[in-house]
Amino acid sequence: MGYFDVPEIEYTRYSNRQLAAIPLAFLAVALAILLIAYTVYGTPVALGMDFAGGTELTVETTDSESAIQTAFDEEPESIQSTGASNQYIVQFTSEDQQALTDQAEENLAPLEGNDEVVQETSSTSASFGAQAQQTALLGIVVAFVGMSVITFLLFRTFVPSIAIILSAFSDLVIPLAFMNLANIPLTLGTVAGLLMLIGYSVDSDILLNNHILRRGGSFYESTNEAIRTGVTMTITSMIAMLVMAIAATIMGVELLASIGTILFVGLAADLMNTYMLNLSLLRWYKFEGINR
Amino acid sequence: MKPTAFLKENWRVLLLVVFVLGAVVALFLPGGVMGDSSYASQGESNQSWTEDPINLEYGLGLEGGTRISAPVVGMTAENVDAGVVSDGEVDQDRVTEIEESLYADETLGLEVGDANVVVHDDGTVSVELFLDDVSEAEFVAALEDADVEASEDDVREGVTQETRDDVIETITLRINEAGLSGGQVTDAEMSDQHYVVTEVPEMGEDELQAILEDRGIVEVVAYHPGGENGTQVNETVLTGDDIAEVDPPRQPERETGYEVPVQVEDSSAEDFQSDMREMGYSEQQGWSNCRVQDPQTGEMTFNDEQEQHCLLTVVDGEPVAAHSMSQQLGSSMASGEWVESPQFRMGAQEYSDAQALSVNLQAGELRAPLDLTEGNVYSLQPALADQFKSYSLLIGVLSVISVSGVVYGRYQDRRVAAPMILTALAEVFILLGFAALIRMPLDLSHIAGFIAVVGTGVDDLIIIADEVMSEGDVNSQRVFESRFRKAFWVIGAAAATTIIAMSPLAVLSLGDLRGFAIITILGVLIGVLITRPAYGDILRRLLTDR
Repeated sequence: MGYFDVPEIEYTRYSNRQLAAIPLAFLAVALAILLIAYTVYGTPVALGMDFAGGTELTVETTDSESAIQTAFDEEPESIQSTGASNQYIVQFTSEDQQALTDQAEENLAPLEGNDEVVQETSSTSASFGAQAQQTALLGIVVAFVGMSVITFLLFRTFVPSIAIILSAFSDLVIPLAFMNLANIPLTLGTVAGLLMLIGYSVDSDILLNNHILRRGGSFYESTNEAIRTGVTMTITSMIAMLVMAIAATIMGVELLASIGTILFVGLAADLMNTYMLNLSLLRWYKFEGINR
Repeated sequence: MKPTAFLKENWRVLLLVVFVLGAVVALFLPGGVMGDSSYASQGESNQSWTEDPINLEYGLGLEGGTRISAPVVGMTAENVDAGVVSDGEVDQDRVTEIEESLYADETLGLEVGDANVVVHDDGTVSVELFLDDVSEAEFVAALEDADVEASEDDVREGVTQETRDDVIETITLRINEAGLSGGQVTDAEMSDQHYVVTEVPEMGEDELQAILEDRGIVEVVAYHPGGENGTQVNETVLTGDDIAEVDPPRQPERETGYEVPVQVEDSSAEDFQSDMREMGYSEQQGWSNCRVQDPQTGEMTFNDEQEQHCLLTVVDGEPVAAHSMSQQLGSSMASGEWVESPQFRMGAQEYSDAQALSVNLQAGELRAPLDLTEGNVYSLQPALADQFKSYSLLIGVLSVISVSGVVYGRYQDRRVAAPMILTALAEVFILLGFAALIRMPLDLSHIAGFIAVVGTGVDDLIIIADEVMSEGDVNSQRVFESRFRKAFWVIGAAAATTIIAMSPLAVLSLGDLRGFAIITILGVLIGVLITRPAYGDILRRLLTDR
């Protein structure tokens, strides 16, 4: 059936310990990265402008990147060219967006047929950013706790519920560590991606648990059925997110690019966590835990 | 087949058809279903319909405009014992007394409009100062001087809800006075700090900043020789509250500059007239002798030695115009006829000032100032917004195509894959119809939500398809129903977790993300309740009717 068939994995060849070791190692490394970042920089993930404060201008100019570099009294934090020609996103740590806008209009040449150089401005004060940061953290914690409660209500048994929660936790931590390595700062868009991930990634875990715990048939039969459906689901979502991330990055639509990237990485982590970590815990529960 | 049996068998598909048709109506019916909804308050926003056959509203991120979030400056002493309320009656004289005592306090250094006493509906009293350079101790000391019992524990940062509501109302009026519609002013709370969020499409950031910057406290001040030995003094004779009606600015016949004709409230007209008479404005020596303003340059110089009778228009403590009493107005005040029709003209040198004066008089003063440096500013040019609009549409289409490709590659069966993709699209279509119906302004974050909806939607359809087709083809209604129910448990559970995970975002004021969360939650609900069951039915017909 189909061009691509989800391969059946010979789970019997591996012990629970072996299966769980890889995702747990990933989780440990990810946590270590976040911890190191926290001790070195004070935050586990670099904070973007939304949370740290600062100003971002999108300028359209015929001038070169080096001209942009020197056009402002304050040195730009970063200059990034977007997919559109002659369009750049310039970031500053200062909050004085009015002065920066004036300097841009004064020192840079607009495109033909365009009277404004500055096409988009966004500036956040440090205090506003700090409050947004707290609010976002609150949102993530509430979402995670809410998801955990729902999981317990659905399965009403300890080990399978914990298996889901643990793998969802890892699904969040791994993309966070990835953001650290890939230099993606935490913004409102990435927070949205992380929250979406809580909802998305749990789907395949629920599917797996449901097949194994609530259906007849042998453990491996149910597992393979769940994998066939679940992997298709996750791969479909991953491809949608990959396309969105690549297209939005090329076109310079930041919000969509960050949501897409985070979800792609998170769903990849979810494939590993669901079918190795969650599965090993379920197998242990089904064959050993239940009889104790 | 009997109609009832047909209905019973296909109600899920029929429901989907009804919703899709509803979405068509909501999207394409000229004028929209709820034509006079509150969202786009005035006629001007209708223009999008004439250009665009689809009744969708776009937010800042796709239309251009400016959003400024800023906290209200001030501190509040709550629940103070001020002796203002006795037997459920508010003692207005006592309120004035407290305010005057605060203004007189030298350590506070208040200017006009910086102090306010609020009597809440439940009878408790709060006192507010709209400054940020006063310490709690200084505030409490000043309150005690005014015989108000308060301790430093009662004092907190920020202002009362009443004041915030008043500020929001004033800003809304100012935006409407400026002739712009579709603006929205809301109160947002992030970790106990309140922000007033002003969003205006098609307005640049300078313009909006100018609207939010000014307190707009308008006073008419009499500059006249009423002091000791006939020196010139200033006395406030009218405030913005005393003005009943305001006309748009116009150019006067003989003088330079602009004038704003106003009508004084009947209740204040008598006082104003008697003040004018006492100060000598109603007699001939008080007419046409104001030399503060140079008639050519408009520059103002105050010479306190020179005897003159002027009426100054003062905005936020700055004089913007100085006028003499005209013979006509003066004599009608002398005879007492003026109160019958209490009109006169205020003025300003520049048209923009006159326009601002007119707006300030109509919208009233901003009860408390906003701190524009402690917030968030977002501004987008319409050209870039247009680019975002077409790009996000393109990204959406690309995502749908790639999802379709994967689904087709996986099942290789058009009977399964085609309805799957169509159903997922129907879901987005219904959502769009819903957005048009409630006239939700769409932003980039909503587009992200739509893409997420396609993603979760297809995931759930895959679950249904795999479940229904497991263990060979479906050959009876009963087998189908039982498998469908099994699949639905997983879908319901997954939907519940997604809704729970997104709900904090839908409630918290995290800028753009609210739209994303709302669309995702709505999409999941529409999916679980309408489109996904219908897909099951479609699949059953395709698989069983051979």
